[in-house]
Amino acid sequence: MIALRIGLAEIVRNDVKVIPLTGVYMPRTEDLVIGKVVSVTGYGWEADINSSFVGYLPGQFVFGRDFSPATHDLTTRFVVGDLMLAKIEQFDRTRDPQLSIRGPDLGKIAQGEVVKLSPSKVPRLIGRKGYMINMIAELSNCQIKVGQNGMIVVDGTPEGTAKAVEAIHMVEAEAHVADLSNKVQQMLGGTPSAPMQDTGE
Amino acid sequence: MEEKRKLIDANGKRTDGRTWDQLRPLTIEVGVVKNADGSALIEWGKNKIIAAVYGPKEMHPKHLELADRAFLKCRYHMAPFSVDERKNPAPSRREIEISKVIREALQPALFLEDYPRTAIQVYVEVLQSDGGSRVAGITAGAVALADAGINMRDMVVGCAVGKVDGKIVVDLNDTEDKEGSGDLPFAFMPNLNQVTLLQMDGLFTHEEFKQAISMAKEAGMKVYNIQREALMKKYFSGSGPEMTTTTATEMMEEA
Amino acid sequence: MGGKSFVVETIKRNRMVEMLAQGKRLDGRGLSDIRPLEIKTGVIPKANGSAMVTLGNSQVLAGVKIDKGIPFPDTPDKGLLIVGAELLPMAAAYLEAGPPDENAIELARVVDRGVRESEMIDVGSLVIKAGKWVYSVFCDVNIMNVDGNLFDATSYAVVSALLTAKMPKFVLDGDVVKDTGERLPLPVHKIPISITIANINGTLVADPTAEEEAIMDARITLDTDDAGNLVAGQKGEPGSFTPEQVLTAAEWSIARGKEIREKIKAATGHG
Repeated sequence: MIALRIGLAEIVRNDVKVIPLTGVYMPRTEDLVIGKVVSVTGYGWEADINSSFVGYLPGQFVFGRDFSPATHDLTTRFVVGDLMLAKIEQFDRTRDPQLSIRGPDLGKIAQGEVVKLSPSKVPRLIGRKGYMINMIAELSNCQIKVGQNGMIVVDGTPEGTAKAVEAIHMVEAEAHVADLSNKVQQMLGGTPSAPMQDTGE
Repeated sequence: MEEKRKLIDANGKRTDGRTWDQLRPLTIEVGVVKNADGSALIEWGKNKIIAAVYGPKEMHPKHLELADRAFLKCRYHMAPFSVDERKNPAPSRREIEISKVIREALQPALFLEDYPRTAIQVYVEVLQSDGGSRVAGITAGAVALADAGINMRDMVVGCAVGKVDGKIVVDLNDTEDKEGSGDLPFAFMPNLNQVTLLQMDGLFTHEEFKQAISMAKEAGMKVYNIQREALMKKYFSGSGPEMTTTTATEMMEEA
Repeated sequence: MGGKSFVVETIKRNRMVEMLAQGKRLDGRGLSDIRPLEIKTGVIPKANGSAMVTLGNSQVLAGVKIDKGIPFPDTPDKGLLIVGAELLPMAAAYLEAGPPDENAIELARVVDRGVRESEMIDVGSLVIKAGKWVYSVFCDVNIMNVDGNLFDATSYAVVSALLTAKMPKFVLDGDVVKDTGERLPLPVHKIPISITIANINGTLVADPTAEEEAIMDARITLDTDDAGNLVAGQKGEPGSFTPEQVLTAAEWSIARGKEIREKIKAATGHG
């Protein structure tokens, strides 16, 4: 079998698994994503989730069972351009992904700077057990929300935000480099409170 | 197609000094259109052609979306200043036909089933034309698709062969294209050994035809190497041997 | 990547507007500053002239084709100069292939007027035989990557391509037009420079990026010539300008126009 995908390949038993270096986000149920509202329809909101599919947040999920366009104005919660941290509630190949914002920390993101990252690099940005992203957040003194779909929002002081954004760009550019967390830590300066895990780097 | 003058001289040199089996100078650069998901610039002889890919993306019009696969769209277009006599920018019948054959040359290589209900759009824009623009467009288009991260079964590589002064030659230039007696654009998937584009006009004997096909494949493999190098250059330059299995394992575990 | 819409995030738009009120832009430019401008000429050797212009991330390619043609019946003693522009669908994720929409047509016509009405090229001297044969000069533009301010990027590409074009010298041999083989530059009177200014919530910015255009209320394009005269103009988008803003825009166009003119002259060997 021959396959072509730009990425890093590893041969596990007789299968070739390719970690892609490019590509749009492919939705998965339970993923946390950051979406940008692009239209308000009759019964809900449509959001750009950096995928070939548009995410849909039903009005019912926000206003409750008795939601009706006659009595509830969708624009009181989200308007075009608003960002939300949401969960992919349901997705299968026959319809667009359905979003939900029920859960701790989910909902409208009111401030911060938006950064986009190739979705395939998100695992690297998060790191083993969150080590990389926690280190970046701590050393830059920012709150960072990461969507599996490659959309990230950084909230902090202007200086801290700039540092965090630079760190994220560094991870994107050098995702394949060994010893990346050391490089990022050096660039940010300072020592993280959690000891360096044995990440095998 | 009547030949009016000698296109190959007594020493076997063609109008541009090449021998029958030589390709024109050929370079490929990846990632030249910033906004596109994938792109490539190919300079082949005097051809300057850009291929750009967007996708997978939402399909428009929605009622034409396919439930089980992506809809592949392809647009081949020549800039008005790309040819000797200025060309009207509106799509001509020739461009529409070439758009179709390019799409059908690239489609067999793509795992369209991986992207149901979406569209994948390929643009091939000819900025300067010099014979063999459609196979150059296919060659660049395949690179742009790989750059965009579309899952592919194999690369697709194109090369035209033709008949000039009774001899089969590889990679026709503009003059040979216009004045020769046979023109055979050809494209194939190099690893799967499958032909995805074949057009022909002129007269080839059975023997000549067999010879032409084998020469097209051989020349195509040379072009395939250039495609691979161009992609390697963009993605792996400066990091080659650093890529270790350990890093890949780590990424897989976190994924 | 995967962006099907061009909606600027609300938090980003708010930040941009806040910064603008303090005279700051996202990319650190001053309000009337122009982005880095790169010009490469002669990139399409087969054409009579060509120029690739990169303004920030907007990228535009102009090509010139010159041939003999038949004059328009109402101007028998003038050569033909026709400027066209095509917004290639590859230039941005939100574009689809198809006939030019009203934005693409406005762009082409505004650039065409900027070059033609300013009388950049002396079309009166582009005649082979009055009433029968004239030179026809086509300048076509392919817009290849969109990041705002296509009006100016396209105009600079057209001007640079025309300044470096080589036209064939035609003569009449009896009734037949013959190419002598000699190559001449086009007869250039003046160099019009276009400057586009956007109005974002009351603040004027020159050379808007794609994001600035996505949140702007209105835009105005003003062309000036070498002597500082205003030679072409177009206001667009469904917002408005105060008369004072229009005059400020004119001042900026004259001042920045001078700087850009020097850059183009240097890049095209007319310095």
